[in-house]
Amino acid sequence: MEFEPVIGLEIHVELKTKSKMFSNGPVLFGAEPNTLVVPLDMGFPGTMPIVNKEAVIYAIRVSNALHMKIDHELHFDRKNYFYSDLPKGYQITQNLRPIGSDGYLEIEVDGKTKRINIERLHMEEDTCKQLHFNTFTLLDYNRAGTPLVEIVSRPDIRSGEEAMKYVEKIRSIVVFSEVSDGKMEEGSLRCDVNISLREKGTEPFGTKVEIKNINSISHIQRAVDFEIARQSKILNEGGTIAQETRRYDDAKRETILMRVKTDAVDYKYFPEPNITPIALSDEFVEDAIKNCPELADSKKVRYMNEYGLNEYDASQLLIDKDLSNYYDELTKYSKQYKLLANWVNVDINGYLNKNNITVLNFSLKPQELASLVEMVAKNTISSNQAKEIFNKMISDNLTALEAKKALGISEQISDNEFIIKVINEVLDEFPNSIVDYKEGKGRALGFMIGQVMKKTQGKVNPKLTNDLLLEELKKR
Amino acid sequence: MKNYRNLTIKELHELLVKKEVTPLELTKEALELAKKDTNNAIEYLMEKEALEIASNLKEPEVNNPLWGIPFIIKDNMSTKDVPTTASSNILNGYVPLFDATVVTKLKEAHAVPICKATLDELAMGGTGTTGHLGTTYNPYDRSHKHLVGGSSCGSAALVADGVAPLALASDTGDSTRKPASYAGLVGFKPTWSRISRFGLFPFAPSLDTIGFFTRSVLDSAYTLNVLAGRDLNDSTSSTKEVEDYTRLLNEPIKGKKIAIIKEINEATSDKTLLDLFAKTVKELENKGAEVHYVSVSRHLLETLFPTYFVISCAEATSNNANLDGVKFGPAYDGATYQEVMTKARTKGFSELIKRRFVIGSYALMRENQNELFLRAQKNRRRIVEEINKILEEYDLIYTIAAPSVAPTFDNASDKLSDEYLIADNHLVIGNFTGLPSITIPVGFENDLPLGVNIMGKAFHEAEVLQLANKIEEITGLYGLVAKEGK
Amino acid sequence: MKEYNIEVLKDAANRLLFDMSDEEYQTLLEEFDIITKQMRLIGEDNTLDNLEPMTFPFECTTTFLREDIPGTPLVREEAIKNAGNKTGGQIKLPKVVL
Repeated sequence: MEFEPVIGLEIHVELKTKSKMFSNGPVLFGAEPNTLVVPLDMGFPGTMPIVNKEAVIYAIRVSNALHMKIDHELHFDRKNYFYSDLPKGYQITQNLRPIGSDGYLEIEVDGKTKRINIERLHMEEDTCKQLHFNTFTLLDYNRAGTPLVEIVSRPDIRSGEEAMKYVEKIRSIVVFSEVSDGKMEEGSLRCDVNISLREKGTEPFGTKVEIKNINSISHIQRAVDFEIARQSKILNEGGTIAQETRRYDDAKRETILMRVKTDAVDYKYFPEPNITPIALSDEFVEDAIKNCPELADSKKVRYMNEYGLNEYDASQLLIDKDLSNYYDELTKYSKQYKLLANWVNVDINGYLNKNNITVLNFSLKPQELASLVEMVAKNTISSNQAKEIFNKMISDNLTALEAKKALGISEQISDNEFIIKVINEVLDEFPNSIVDYKEGKGRALGFMIGQVMKKTQGKVNPKLTNDLLLEELKKR
Repeated sequence: MKNYRNLTIKELHELLVKKEVTPLELTKEALELAKKDTNNAIEYLMEKEALEIASNLKEPEVNNPLWGIPFIIKDNMSTKDVPTTASSNILNGYVPLFDATVVTKLKEAHAVPICKATLDELAMGGTGTTGHLGTTYNPYDRSHKHLVGGSSCGSAALVADGVAPLALASDTGDSTRKPASYAGLVGFKPTWSRISRFGLFPFAPSLDTIGFFTRSVLDSAYTLNVLAGRDLNDSTSSTKEVEDYTRLLNEPIKGKKIAIIKEINEATSDKTLLDLFAKTVKELENKGAEVHYVSVSRHLLETLFPTYFVISCAEATSNNANLDGVKFGPAYDGATYQEVMTKARTKGFSELIKRRFVIGSYALMRENQNELFLRAQKNRRRIVEEINKILEEYDLIYTIAAPSVAPTFDNASDKLSDEYLIADNHLVIGNFTGLPSITIPVGFENDLPLGVNIMGKAFHEAEVLQLANKIEEITGLYGLVAKEGK
Repeated sequence: MKEYNIEVLKDAANRLLFDMSDEEYQTLLEEFDIITKQMRLIGEDNTLDNLEPMTFPFECTTTFLREDIPGTPLVREEAIKNAGNKTGGQIKLPKVVL
C-alpha cells in the first residue's frame, strides 16, 4: 500500500530580548546558574507578569514575515500543568488569541515552490533549565521566563526534505529579522514534529507520533524520513501505530520511544487574570514591521535584480546573515557588486573558515575592503597583488593604501594612450619581430611585451598591454 | 502609660504633632497589646523592625496623617525578611525577598508595621477558622463563642481590640467588608486596580483587591490617599489619577441618589439590623438624599455565591500551583519530583483548601468548562450589567453589610437558603463589578456590632467615603474598640 | 459535564499533586452535591449563552508594555535561600526521568 506522510511542525523560538517575557530578569547565555533571576522567574507569591514590549515587537515581525494576520489586541492565557521545570505551576501563553494567525511561507523543493500554511504564532515564556545527573536533577532558573514564540504549521508537509526546508526558512526569518539566534544546537530554536501516515488519496489522518528534541537542521530530514519508513513498515506489516512521543538519536540514526501518550493532557486553559487586554495601535504594529531588518528573500531579490548577481552568488551571501550585512556595508562604498560578492564569498569566507571566526570578529572595515576592491576594478593592481594587500591589511591592521605601500606595490599604468605610445616605440625598434609574429612565431609577442615592460619598469597593466599590442600589430 | 487603644489615626496624628506622644511610645504600646492578644490573631510580631522604624521618627510631619501610626499587615502580603505564610503550612518558614507595594507605601509614609496578622488559609475562607493557627476570636466576645469573620480575621480582630488604628487586608469575596461588620470597623475595598496588588498572594486576581480596616471613615480616606495609584510592578493597576479622597467628606449629600436593593433586605431576618438600617435611611432623606428601593431579580442574587465559588476556586487552584515545596516552603524527599511535590502539597494544604482546589480544577476541565467556569463568567457579566444599570440612575447603592452580628462558631447556615445565598453573600457584587465598597458600623445587638455597606461607581471612592462619613455622623459610631479583656 | 464520583475526584486531586483521606473525599463529594445544586440555579438562565464570559470587572484595556530593560537580578544565595533541597547554587530534585 502506498502511504502519504502528513507532517506538522511546532517550532519554539527563543527571542533575544534583553529581559524576560514577563519580568525584568536579564536574558543572557552562559551565565552562572541562578544569577539571572528576579522573583517572578521563580514563581514567588505576589509577583505579577508585565509584558515585554520588545518581545511583542519581535513577535509582530515574525508574524508579518510569515504573512499572518496580526491581532491588534493582546490576550494571554494560563496553561496549567505541573512539571519539575515549571516554576509557577502554569505557563503564561496565548491560547485563544495568538498574536499571529493564518499565515504561510514558501519553500523550494525540486525547483518548485510549495506553500506551507501556518496556523498560529503565539507568545509565551520558557521554563527553567534542568541539568540531569545520575541520581538527581538540578534546576537553573536563568532561562525561566525567556520570551518564546511558538510557530505551529498546518499539516501540509509531506517529506523530510520539506520539513528541513521549512525549518531552514523559519530559521532564516528569525535570524535575519534579528529576533533570535536561531541556533538549534543551543536550543534557541526547538522543533517538535508530528507525523502520521495515511493511505494515499484518502482524507482521514492516521495516528500521530510526535518527535521531540531534534537539535540540528540536518537531523530533521533524517528523523522524519526514518519515522516515515518506520511507520510505513509497521502499517505494511498490518500493524498499528501507537500514539507516542519519540526522540531522534543521530548516532543510531533512528527515532526512539520516549513515552506512550495516554489521554491528552488537559491544560485547563483560562484567561490570565493578571494581564489585562493590551491594545496595539496601528502605528505600533506598522513601526514594528517597518523597522524590521531586511529578510533574506528580499535581499536576494535586491542582489539579483539591482546588483546583477547570479542566484548562486546571492544565495551564498545569504547563508550567513552577518556576512550578508557585511556585504551590504561594502555596497555603500563600492558599486562593484559582482566583485564584492566574490570577495565576500571566496576570500573573506575562506579567511573566516581558516581562522574559525565569524564575520562579527573580522577586523577589516568594509570601507577599507571596498577601496581595495575599487583598485582591482580600476585595474591599478592585479588580483594577485590585491590578495597580498588583503592579507597585509589584516595582519598589520593597515588601510588598503598603507598595505600596498608597505608591500612596495606600485600602481599599474592603465593609460591607453601612454601604453600605445610605448608599444609603437618598441615596434619601430624591432621590425623583425613584427615579421616573426605575422609568420606565426608565438615567441615574438612575448618578446615585444617584455620590451614594453622594460621601457616602463613593469608598471603597465599586462593584460591591457597585451590587448593593445594585438590591436597595433593589426595596423602594421 | 496613657491608653491610646481607641483613638483614630486623626486623633493620634494630632497628639503626635503636638508631641504629646511619640511614634516610639505608640509602637511600644501596640507591641505590648499585640503580645497580650487573646484572639489568636497574630502570625508574626515585627518587634525589631517596628522599634527600629519608630525610634528613627523624630520630627512630626504635619501634613502626613500616617506619620508614626502603627499598622498591621495581613499575612498574605509579602514582607521582605519577615516570615509570610498566608496562614498555610505549605509556606511555613518562607521569608520573602521583597515588600508588597502597599507595605512599601505605608513604610514610605513613615507608618510603623507592628505585626503580621493571621487569616483564613490562603485567604480562602470567610470565618477566620481555617488558618494554620486555628480559630481567631471576635474581641467583642471574650468568651470566644463568636467568630470575627474572614478571611482578614487577624487584621480585623487586632484593630477592633485596640492594637493599632489601621490594618491592611484583602478582599476577594467580602474578606475585608464582612469582618468589618462583625468587628465594628470601617472596612474599605476600593475599586479593583485602584491599589497595586504587587506582593499580595493571589487568591483570585480578577476579584482580589487590597482593602483595609480603620476606626473611622476619615482614616480610610487618609489611608487610600497613601495606597492608591499606578504601580509598574502591577500592570493591572489603574493609571487613573489619584485624588484627595478626603475632599468630599464634609460636602452635603443633598440630591444624592441612593438605591437600596429590596431583595437583600427581604432576605434579611434580623429585626434590629433592619430597624437601624431604616433609621439611617430616614436620616439620609432628612439630609436631602433621594433614597429609592430598586429591584434585582432574586434568582440572579441567588446565583451570586455559586458564581463566586466557581470563579474564585478555579483561579485559586492555578494561583497556588506554585506552592510545591521546591522553591520555598517545607521541603520533602521523594523518589520522583512528583512525590516531592505531592508530599509538600498533601501535608501543606488543609482539607478545605484541597477541596476548593479540586472544585476549581474540575470547573476548568475541558469537558466541564462550558457548564461551570465559562457559565460562571457569563453570569458574572449578567450580574455586573444589572448593577451598572442601577448605577446609571443612582450615585450609590446602600445595603446591610451582613445579615446579623457575628455568628457563633457552632452556627451552621443552610447553604441553599436566601438568607445565606443573598443576605450573607451579596457583598461579592463589589468584587464581580470591581466597584468601591465600604462597610461601616451601624449599631449593636447584644453588645456585638452590626454594619452597613455602601457601593459606588468605579473610581468614585470620594463619593463612597462621603456617604459613609454622613452615616458615621448619623450613628456617631467611630473609634470603636472592644472593651479591654481581663 | 463530566460525572463526578469518588474516583473522578481522587484523580482530579492527584493531578493537582495532593491526596486526601477517604472521609475527606466523602466530604468533598457532599460539597459537590451542594455546589452542583447551586450551579443549577445559574443553568436555569438560558439567555446567558449570548453573553461573553467576563474575566475583568470592567473595561480595562491598556496600551502599556514594559520597556525591554533588564533589572538587577537577585543574589543567587538569596534567590534559593528558601529552597529546602539545594546544592552548588542550584535547587535539587530527584532525577527527573524524561
